[in-house]
Parts: sequence; C-alpha cells; structure tokens
Amino acid sequence: MTYLALVRANLRRNRLRTALTGVAVALATLLVCLLLAMPAGLDAFVSRVASNTRVSVINRAGLVYSMPYSLVRKIRGLPGVADAMAVVWYGGAYEERGKLTFPSFAVEADHFGGVYPDYHIPPAELAAFRQYRDGAIVGRATMRVYHWRIGQRVTLRSAIWPVDLDFRIVGEIPNADLGAFYISREYLDQALQAKGLPGLGIAGLIWVRVAQPEAVKSVMRMVDDLSRNSDAPTSSQTEKSFFSSFLATLKDFMTIIMAVTALVSLCIVFIAANTASLAVRERSAEIALMKALGFGRRPIFSLLLVETVLLCALSGGAGVALAVGITTALRVFAGRIPELGPLGAFYVTGPVIALGLGLALLVGVVSGLAPAWGAARRPVAETMREVF
Amino acid sequence: MALPISYPLRNLAARPGRTLLTGGVVALVVVACTLFLGLISSLKRTLVASGDPMNLVVLRKGSTNDGASQIDLDAYRSIRYLEGIAPDATGRPLISPELVVQPFFRTLDGGRENVLVRGVEPIALDVHRGVRIVQGRMIRPSSGEAVVGRAVRGRYEGALLGDTLLFGNGRWKVVGVLEADGASFESEVWVDVRELARDARRPYPYSGIRLRAASEADLVRLADRIAADPRYALEAQREIDYYEAQSESANVLYYFVVGIAILAGLGAGFGASNTLYAAVRSRTREIGTLRALGFSRGAILLAFETEAVVLALGGFALGALLSLLATAALQAWLGGVAFGSTTFTTNVVTLRVSSGDLLAVLGLASAIGLLGGLGPAWRAARMRPIEALRRA
Repeated sequence: MTYLALVRANLRRNRLRTALTGVAVALATLLVCLLLAMPAGLDAFVSRVASNTRVSVINRAGLVYSMPYSLVRKIRGLPGVADAMAVVWYGGAYEERGKLTFPSFAVEADHFGGVYPDYHIPPAELAAFRQYRDGAIVGRATMRVYHWRIGQRVTLRSAIWPVDLDFRIVGEIPNADLGAFYISREYLDQALQAKGLPGLGIAGLIWVRVAQPEAVKSVMRMVDDLSRNSDAPTSSQTEKSFFSSFLATLKDFMTIIMAVTALVSLCIVFIAANTASLAVRERSAEIALMKALGFGRRPIFSLLLVETVLLCALSGGAGVALAVGITTALRVFAGRIPELGPLGAFYVTGPVIALGLGLALLVGVVSGLAPAWGAARRPVAETMREVF
Repeated sequence: MALPISYPLRNLAARPGRTLLTGGVVALVVVACTLFLGLISSLKRTLVASGDPMNLVVLRKGSTNDGASQIDLDAYRSIRYLEGIAPDATGRPLISPELVVQPFFRTLDGGRENVLVRGVEPIALDVHRGVRIVQGRMIRPSSGEAVVGRAVRGRYEGALLGDTLLFGNGRWKVVGVLEADGASFESEVWVDVRELARDARRPYPYSGIRLRAASEADLVRLADRIAADPRYALEAQREIDYYEAQSESANVLYYFVVGIAILAGLGAGFGASNTLYAAVRSRTREIGTLRALGFSRGAILLAFETEAVVLALGGFALGALLSLLATAALQAWLGGVAFGSTTFTTNVVTLRVSSGDLLAVLGLASAIGLLGGLGPAWRAARMRPIEALRRA
C-alpha cells in the first residue's frame, strides 16, 4: 500500500474540515496575491513602457517650472543624442466628458518618431502627424475607451491655455498600456498667437533619446551642464526613474499594504496549524495503533506532514488561480469603464505567483511540523493508555 | 430553559491553546481591516474637511484641480465685482485669487517631493475660515515670506519656523505655521501670489479663485453667472464638491479595501467554524447528556453560538487594541502617511482610526462569529440524545 493513498484517505476522512481549511488557505493566498498585485502591477507597468535609452529633462525646481524652448535645439546638437523633443502640457478635456480623463501633450511632430521608436507607430501615420498641423497621435487605451477611429475629428478644450482646438486623429500608438493624446506644438503655438497672445517660448519637459545605452550617464551630465549657470538649471533622469518618482508618493501606502500582507499570512499559518493539530489529536488512537503495528516514527511524521503540505499547496494553487482570474477580469472591465481606472492596474506577475505558492507551501510545512513531530515522538504506551 | 452563560465561557477556557489560536486569527483580521479602513477614512477626512459649504472654487472649464488651470487678471476682475460675495468687516468682498504651483522640496531623508505651494493674498485667511495661523504670523506681501502647513513643518529641509526654504528659483523665509483641523491645507505652503507667479514665470497670474458667498441663494446665482460668462470659459463649483471629487480616487481604493476585508473575514470565519466543529465533535457525549437532562435544541444552539460570538468578540477586542497601537506606531514612524494627490503633490494624512471604522470592523467580527458558529451549533443542536450517548 502506498503512503500517498493513506494521505488521500486521511484528507477525505473529515471532508468538511478539509474543505473549510482548504477554502480558508485559498482565500488567504488570494488576498496576499491581490495585495501584492498592486505594487507588482505598478513596477511591471514602468518596465513595460519605459525605455532604458530615453531620458527626461525638467527644470530642477519642479515639473511645473519651464525651460526655454531653445534648450531642445542645443540638446539635439550634443554627441550621443539620437533625438530630442520638447513637450508642453496641453491639459485637454474631451468635451463629451467635460473633465480631464487622459493626459494630452503638445509635442514637436518632426521628432516624435525619433524619440519613441519603441512605440512602433506605422511610418505612414508618423508622416501624417508631420504633415497635418491639426493631426494627433493617441494611445490605444484612450482610443478604446472612446471608440475612436483613425481619421476621426475631436475637440479638446484646454484647461491651461485659453483655446479649444479641433484635432484629426492621424495615428494610434499600438500599445494598450498607453493613453496619452499627442498634438502638434506648432498648432498650439499658432492658435495662441492668433488670439494675440505670446507664443510658446517654453518647454515643460524634454525627452531625449540616447543612441547607445552606455552613453546615457554621460549624456545626462552633458545636458545638465548646458544650463548649469542659467536661470533654469535642469535635472535629467532616466525614463524609468522619472515614472517611478510619480509612484514614490505611494510609498507609505505600499508599506501599509506590506504590513497587512504579513498579517494575513500569519492568519493562514494559524488556521492551518489549528487544523493540523485537530487532525492529529483526533487520530491519536489510530497513530498509536500504527506504531504498535510497527510503523516507525519517520513514516508517521512524513505521513502527517505531507497531508498538511498537500492540502495547503492545493488550496494555495486555487487561491493563486483565482487571483489571476480576478485581476484579469478587472483589467478587462477597467479597459471599458474609465471610472474603474486604478483597479485595472493590478497584475499578478510571475514573482507574485511564485510568492503565493511558496507561501502556501511554507504554511503547510510550518503548521504541520509541530503536530506531526509531537505525534511521531509520543510513546505508544502513553497514547494507548489514554485511549483504552 | 437556557444553559447558563458560564457553560460556553468555560468551554472556551477548557482548551486555551485552541481558543487563543482561533481568537488570534480573528484578531489579525481585525488589525488588517482596521488599518486599511483607517487609512482610507483618514485620507477622505483630510480632503473632505478642506471644503467649506459657503465657498466656491472657480477654475477654467474642464479643469479638475487648481494645479491644472489658468486664469487671467481680467477674468478675476470680472468676478470680483459680482453681487452676492460676502464682505469682510471692512466691506471688501471675500474673494481670494490663488496660484497653485508644485515645486520640488527636499525631504529630510534626502529625497524630493512635489509640494503644493499656494500663492495667496492676505484675504485668503478670511475666505478659508478653517485655516488658522498657530505660530508666528501671516506673510506680508512682496516680502519673500512663507507660512507652512503643520504637516509640512519638519518634513522638508528648512521648513521650520524661522528657517529659510529653498524652492522654485528663490529663498523663502518661514514666518508662520498654519493649521486647518487636519484638512489638506496643512500639507501646503502659502506665499505671496505675485511673488510666486514671478518666481515660477507664469504667463497667467492665477490658477483658481476661491470666494465666499453671502448666502446659499447667492452661491447658486454666482456659480450660474460665472459659468454663463462666454468671455472667460470658467466654471464654479462648491468647495465641498471640489474636494469630494478629489477624494474620488480614494473611493476605488475604498471598494478594494472592503473587498479585502470581506475575503479576510470569510477566511477567518472558516477557521472559526473548523475549531467549533471539532469542539462539537469532541463533546458529543456531553451534548447527549444535556439533551437527556431536558435542555432544548434551542438552548444547545444558543450555547454554541454564544461560544462562537464570544470568541470572535474577544478576538475583536484584542485586534482593536493592537490596531490602535499599530496606527499610533505607524503615525509616529512615518509622521503621517504621504499620499499622492491629483495635483501630483504630496498630501500628508494623519492616520487615525475613527469610531466608524471600529464599528464597521466590529460588525465584521460579529458576522465571523455568528456565521462561523452557525454550522457547528446547528450540528450540535440536531444531535439525537440516544445516538449521541451511544456513539460516545
């Protein structure tokens, strides 16, 4: 007779208890995975969209402090720079919704493809963006939310500049993670001048693409040296650290998520340990009998431990699967309903899956160890005396 | 006839190890849920407390916050002389033109954060009734002075009374500290509006206007008139609605947290059920005896339900105590929880567990006890006395 069959029979003996414990461990694993899915999702997002050869340049005083527009031309002249593009926040609200629901930027159409080759925008669409002053390139996420098509006209009212401009969508960024709306800087500039206002003499942000990854550090230094003694000194960062700095404000929240995760994990240990000790206690007569029949300590110990570990591993697996299902569903819904926004940012990544399963296994071992050890060590005579 | 209350209590004491383990699970779930709920409600309280029911926020149409709006001098003048704005003691209208800028501040631990700097005129203190200067004094116009919010003080380099703050392109002398009953103004720095526009080289002098209406009817009329003016494309909303909208991102987190609480509660409920099922099983003979003595099914059911609820409530008491300690420790360690707000600035929230949070978690713990105990209690109550006695 195989030991595994014995383990199975034991798990089936009190089905209600096995089910209750299994569900409790599965729920706890699900919780841990969901909690960790938020930080993991944010990290994964940054590494999916950020390039290691793109550098952001902003005024050292802060994102809302501008730089002179002439700086971008100087940066393009630096050795090692493949291309650079000045960006100005347009702050456009789509009139049907009335509020800002996606970011919109005025950019230099001639340099867009050079700075974002990794967006894989078809060359014909980039050419149309350069050709039509009122052209716009939009991220797939926003295209989907509003069911926009290439060729469609939309009006965005700027919350910052005193203009409402009409745009023709000429291209789509084929990446469902991205939702920004890019318009031509020239168009905004001329619209402002037509109203008798001074044109755009500024750049809010400059994106620089460096030709070689090894040159990123030296290019960042050269860029910051350009304006070191001017009245608008700059601060360069890689795209990754630029995005991460926006997430830095979530740091404290993440600390609390981690604390709660640890608490929930401890819960599972308690629940599973409780069950394991119940199972052993109930079976003490049987275990004594097995010993009397000649089963050694080791097989008894392993039998009991394997039982707990198997139960925890199976339930943990179910919990992880459920977590993957729930986050996938959330992402699908969040893609359709913009109000759900942040809930679509949960990703159960590979490391989170590994962590969830590892945790379940660990719980099985930790909770099974003490009762199994106790049962294996207990002298036969003592148990027999108690039972009969 | 009901069983005496000491029966379930003694049963709990009979197996202290198992009782502690199950109670511990409930306590941990309570701590986790209280921490989360407290965090979200603290965040909401901070934002909602910032709004005054008699105030209006005027922004450019389509703008969601005063960090992403621009208003020119003409637009401000056109509003300033509208009827219905409450006057101050000297008869000036209570209208505060403001410029919001988000410069980097250097934190004491060497990082940098965006902080909301609000350019104001001295009248701002009369428009924002909840804001008080608690140390030092208010800024004087064109003097390079700043007042810092209570939560800003001590978080950044130079943010103490009498120190010099370096942000934007200039140096600012801290002359006062402001408090606002925990509202988000406490995470802001206030300076002179003209100096700030010059420092940030803003093409427009203001980003938003706050004003105080003389009456409820005036407030509605003012909002309509401002939105109807075709020259400036502005819109006015109640200050409380403005901050309510700012806290909407917290709503999604709130549902997330409630979902987590329910899942954790279910898990703990299953754990508690497990323990009680075992208790019922090991006490079969006892239950048979009780039934034979004439105790009704209801009495048995009640006894086991009581045991479960007492266990859960004990867990709640322990958990509530622990979570109060934990929030106090977190608050001391982090000095308030920093959140990113819609203006991309740091909002430092004072972490406090409210009685509402504790009540909600008490409900959860009671549900864990009641529902977790139901199955085992039902099984005990259904036992037939003869069989129970024979089986044992």
